[in-house]
Amino acid sequence: MPNKNFEQVVRFYELQSVPAGPSIWLPLVDVTLITQAGSRINLPLLFDTGASVTTLRAEFYSILGLQSWDQGQKVQTSTAGGVKDVYQYVTTLEVFGKTITCPIQLNDQLPSNPLFMGLLGRDTVFNEFGFGFWENTHELYVTENP
Amino acid sequence: MKYSIRSHQDIGEVRANLKAMLTSANPEETLEMLDKIGLEPFVTEEGGLLVRIWTIAAEDFVPREQAAIIRTKRATPEQSDDLDWLSKNLAVIREQYAGKWIAVYEGAVIDHAPALPELLDRISKFDRPLITFIPAEPITWTFTYAQ
Repeated sequence: MPNKNFEQVVRFYELQSVPAGPSIWLPLVDVTLITQAGSRINLPLLFDTGASVTTLRAEFYSILGLQSWDQGQKVQTSTAGGVKDVYQYVTTLEVFGKTITCPIQLNDQLPSNPLFMGLLGRDTVFNEFGFGFWENTHELYVTENP
Repeated sequence: MKYSIRSHQDIGEVRANLKAMLTSANPEETLEMLDKIGLEPFVTEEGGLLVRIWTIAAEDFVPREQAAIIRTKRATPEQSDDLDWLSKNLAVIREQYAGKWIAVYEGAVIDHAPALPELLDRISKFDRPLITFIPAEPITWTFTYAQ
C-alpha cells in the first residue's frame, strides 16, 4: 500500500447537544469568502465527501452580488429528502491556505445548524488536496500536494 | 527588526534565547523552533510574529511577501479559535441570539442582526470574522442534508 504524507491536521470540533450528554464531533472547515464589498468573512463548512459541489445556505446570495438566490444555473441535486432544485454559481474561496475558484450551489433547504453554513464539497476544491479521515482520533489530514 | 517580549512570569533564559533567535535565525527555522517548544507562533498579514502563552511580538519579522507565503503553509489559530469558541459556548449563545445572524471575532460576538446583509454592512472593518446563523428551533445533530 502507498504511504501518504500530510502537512495539515484539522481537528474535529466537539460539542455536547445536551448538558452532560455524549460529545458530537464534526469535521468543520473554516473557509474564507470575499464579499461583494471586498471584505473577507469566514464561514464554517462541514467537510462532506458526499456533496458533489460546495453548497451554501441560500441567504448568502447577497455576498455573491446577486439580487436573489435563484438567478443562477438551475441544477437538480439528489438529497436524502428527494431531488431538489438548487442554483449554481462560480466564486473564489480560500480553503486550507489555497485560493480556489470553484462552483458553489445555493440551497434553500439545508438544515439550520449554527456550526456550519454549508457543505465543503468535491467539485474543483477536492482536486487541490489529498485527505485522510480519522474518525477515531477526530482528525482530518490534509496535503496540498496530492 | 524590532521586537518586544512581555511575560506574566519570569522566563529568564528562555527569553534571552528567544531574543537571540529572533535576531539571528532564519524566520522559517525560528517558527519551527517555536513550534518545538510549544509556543504556537503565528505570522500576521503584516509580517509580525505573535506567540501564544506569552505576549511576544516582533515587527518586521519577515517582509509582507514572505508573510503571505508562510501564512499559506501554517494554520492561523485565531480563525479556528472562533469556531472552537462558538462550539464550546453554543448553549449560551443560543439563548441570547436565537433567530439571529451573528459575527464572532477573537472569541466574542461582535455584532448580530436579523438579516445577513445588515450584519455584513456593520462588520466590514473586521478581517475574517466568523459568520453564522443561530436557529431558534431545536437543532437536529444527525443529518441528511435536505428536509
